[in-house]
Amino acid sequence: MITAAGVKQLRLKFPGDESLLFRDLSFAVGEGEKVLLLGPSGCGKSTLLQVLTGIIPGSVEVPMKHEDITIPASWGYVFQDPDTQFCMPFVDEELAFVLENLQVPRREMPERIRHYLELAGLRLDDIHTPINALSQGMKQRLAIASVLALEPNVLFLDEPTALLDPEGTEQVWQTIKNVARSKTVLIVEHKIDRIVDFVDRVVLFDDQGRIIGDGDKNDVFARYKQQLIEYGIWYPGVWDDYSADRALPEAESRMAESGAPLLSLNDFAGYRGKNRKLFIPQADVYPGEWITVVGHNGAGKSTLLLSLMQLIRTTGGYKVQGQDAARINDLASQLAYVFQNPEFQFVTNSVYDEVAYTLRLDRVSETEIAEKTKRLLELFELSGKSGQHPYLLSMGQKRRLSVACAIVKEQPILLLDEPTFGQDARNTFAMLEKLEAWRLQGTAIVMVTHDMEIVERYATRIWTIADGKLASDINAERKRMDEKAAADGAAAGAVGAGGS
Amino acid sequence: MGKGKGLKLADILVTVVIAVVFGIVYKLWGPLYDAAKPFGIRLEELIYGMWFIAGTVAALLIRKPGVALLAEVAAASAELVTGSQYGVSVLLSGVLQGLFAELAFAAFGYRRFTIGVASLAAIGSSAGSLIMDFYNNYITDLSAWNLTLMIGARTIGSIIICGFFAYYLVKALEATGVTKQLRPVSNEDYKALDN
Amino acid sequence: MQIDFSYRETWLHRGNPALKLLLFVILFVYAMFVHNLDTLVYMTVFHFILLFSFSGHPLRRLLLYMSPFLLIFVSSAVSMALFGKGTTLWFEWGLVSVTKESFLRGIHLGFRALDFAVLGLTFALTTRPVYLFYSLMQQAKLPPKYAYSFMASIRLIPLLLEELQTLRYALKVRGMRRQRGIGGFYRKLKAYAVPLLAQSIRKAQRIAVAMEAKRFSEAKKRTYYYELSVSRIDALAIVAYAAIAAAAIGLSVYAPVFHMTDVRMIG
Ligand SMILES: Nc1ncnc2c1ncn2[C@@H]1O[C@H](COP(=O)(O)OP(=O)(O)OP(=O)(O)O)[C@@H](O)[C@H]1O
Ligand SMILES: Nc1ncnc2c1ncn2[C@@H]1O[C@H](COP(=O)(O)OP(=O)(O)OP(=O)(O)O)[C@@H](O)[C@H]1O
Ligand SMILES: [Mg+2]
Ligand SMILES: [Mg+2]
Repeated sequence: MITAAGVKQLRLKFPGDESLLFRDLSFAVGEGEKVLLLGPSGCGKSTLLQVLTGIIPGSVEVPMKHEDITIPASWGYVFQDPDTQFCMPFVDEELAFVLENLQVPRREMPERIRHYLELAGLRLDDIHTPINALSQGMKQRLAIASVLALEPNVLFLDEPTALLDPEGTEQVWQTIKNVARSKTVLIVEHKIDRIVDFVDRVVLFDDQGRIIGDGDKNDVFARYKQQLIEYGIWYPGVWDDYSADRALPEAESRMAESGAPLLSLNDFAGYRGKNRKLFIPQADVYPGEWITVVGHNGAGKSTLLLSLMQLIRTTGGYKVQGQDAARINDLASQLAYVFQNPEFQFVTNSVYDEVAYTLRLDRVSETEIAEKTKRLLELFELSGKSGQHPYLLSMGQKRRLSVACAIVKEQPILLLDEPTFGQDARNTFAMLEKLEAWRLQGTAIVMVTHDMEIVERYATRIWTIADGKLASDINAERKRMDEKAAADGAAAGAVGAGGS
Repeated sequence: MGKGKGLKLADILVTVVIAVVFGIVYKLWGPLYDAAKPFGIRLEELIYGMWFIAGTVAALLIRKPGVALLAEVAAASAELVTGSQYGVSVLLSGVLQGLFAELAFAAFGYRRFTIGVASLAAIGSSAGSLIMDFYNNYITDLSAWNLTLMIGARTIGSIIICGFFAYYLVKALEATGVTKQLRPVSNEDYKALDN
Repeated sequence: MQIDFSYRETWLHRGNPALKLLLFVILFVYAMFVHNLDTLVYMTVFHFILLFSFSGHPLRRLLLYMSPFLLIFVSSAVSMALFGKGTTLWFEWGLVSVTKESFLRGIHLGFRALDFAVLGLTFALTTRPVYLFYSLMQQAKLPPKYAYSFMASIRLIPLLLEELQTLRYALKVRGMRRQRGIGGFYRKLKAYAVPLLAQSIRKAQRIAVAMEAKRFSEAKKRTYYYELSVSRIDALAIVAYAAIAAAAIGLSVYAPVFHMTDVRMIG
């Protein structure tokens, strides 16, 4: 088979790190193959994609060497972060930038721009739309369109759907499937449900950046199950295995709703500038509740959390532990907050300081800080990184750090905006377990997520936000019990019918 | 790879972006400067140096030839396209101030980026700005004490802002680790690959 | 600069941006060498009229932009008016000595500053930055590396403003409290300035990588989405501004107001 992209005996080390990220790694992809790279967060997947395209060391200088390298003649790369892949202010100009680089004549441009937008499923009334006015999902589609405009033979996709709602994820993958049938495709992705059927080969990495399994996907998932579990990598059916191992607490212990509400909302509205972007007629949050907030991209989930944290202007009734929220000047000591974009959270220059920051503000003794910080860093698998600058972490590591530093103070109420995106399985479970333990002690959790597995398994209540309104508020336990009863009833009915 | 001469796209883009950030500061600085002026005792000249800061900060960060000049011109352009109260004159000021700052770094072969060199660049920029004022504002027609006060205050202010403040700002930025990727990788780091 | 606010397109918008820049640079240098107060005043007034008639922006917006103009005028005039050299003494009080020469010279500087401000505003309000840089690439052979860096930073401006907001949120969420005094101000400045700059540098680096991933550096030659050329409209602009200059000189000779042919020190 002809090699489309590959490297032999790759050694790579980030300046200042103690150990090599890759030691004599060899990896190749044949033409037309669809390959999924799987591995724990921080093992080097994004870095490897950048080496295979020559971005490292061409555009980003990182010390590395190798024996042999095949960089595809024509490739396209969809990056993890949708906000920093564009250089022009308008949609059409961004695509034109690509076409200009390829020296497409001016008169062909408008038509080709429309064509690629169509291909990527980005429908706009006017192609001259400001990029800043697009939602996350639309931006990611624009990124795909501009990559398609390169007419690449090899596609590199680095978690292109991490921030999308389930529908958007489905659509983006559908798009990729449609346009990439005849191309070579390398995908890095943690949530694999929607792409497993598209890829034919799976490559497994361990936490040291070594390849531990490589081959046909069914083969790999069957043969390396032990390793998949050991390194905490997502695989089809991992949730069922996980909950079989570890029964979730009994239903009645999950039914809290006792005592006085921690938060209570009444005709509560949140504003972005002059526009009302959120409205909640009435809702309460009780100790021991785990509320998952779901809804489409742009529905207003983040706006809800920002409003609860009083970071944007709000009106209406809002009480925290019985006190009027507007009167509380130190809300941060009662509410922990995790931003959707982990980088928003960071205010110091090292992983350790970041976790210690809040504790230091509270004048906790350094020994206690050291002990607490160490425990949290261990839990979130960041121990080896304590001196690193937060921004130099991998995507998943950043996410974990942002959660760690928000919850270190153990406030009674946690507001979490998609705390598990870009996470491998082990870290997701670790985080969820920690949260569940706190919840059982009476902490209330309000968590935005697009992950329906989490909603189904952990939520005590589900808030659906649609068009900036609290569209439904469902008691998840009751729903689960009803479903179980319905299923039992159906089974009993079937038995009864058989018996007569 | 990194070692090549001239500015890479990333160098240029980073320089221009920093310059644009300062360009916005520059715009806000205009009214501040104007408001300080009617006191008449040349207080405003102490803050004049803010208009040279993009050059020193960018040069201290990226440490390559041409960066100081580019930064000042870019900051001026940003001011211009967003509607500067000084009109097209900012462009010429930018060129002069950037050029003289550049000369200071060039004098040390782009090898020394200390507080002293930064201060020298600040003095250079002040000199550049005075050339403009000579033609534009008839400064030689000011009474002698006023002119002396003006030049003195401007120079001292610019040393404080573009020498000291810029230097410590860049130090603080280095602590954030962003500069790691701006500067060439050392040979030790390459050697470390072999063990 | 804000791209989304609406305006009526006039011939000033349709001119070639690079040529317009050159024209304005020439006008600026010219204004610097006008020492006749009457000429300068007439010229400035005409430039105002041109701005009001052909900027294509609503009057209210223009007035908003011009709100600092009085301050600009006073501040540019004041030092020279109060402390300039001169012979015909009008008023003295301590160090302040207002002479006829220094006063008129101060007024002259005030008008010059106004003229620069009006021209600057005219340029900014009638030129879309993206067109300017496309035009500079095509007409002035500006290397694309520079032109696209500028355009990318323009896209970054709103993102950076958002960033500032985010920083405020982050500090609040992490429990930083209000601080007072000089020390508090310094800490606050540091808490904002450093991360804001660091973030913009990082964003710039990532965008540079993304641009190179789109084959920017490999392109030796390129085509242009916006093809800008020099047209008759540019001739119109040149003629209009030249006519203003000529009319100003004419009026200063035939209808002088200040009778000050050269505001510089004489003798
Ligand atoms: N610029 C950098 N400087 C220093 N270390 C870095 C840098 N970029 C990444 N690293 C480190 O290199 C390792 C690999 O990072 P990479 O982004 O490739 O991980 P990843 O496998 O993509 O993880 P994730 O699934 O979380 O995105 C991480 O431990 C990270 O902390
Ligand atoms: N900074 C802002 N200024 C003005 N409007 C905004 C801002 N951020 C978001 N919006 C708007 O507010 C609405 C709700 O946005 P929000 O970020 O809350 O959505 P979300 O449900 O969190 O979506 P996602 O799943 O993509 O994170 C959207 O219409 C969005 O366009
Ligand atoms: Mg990654
Ligand atoms: Mg959101």
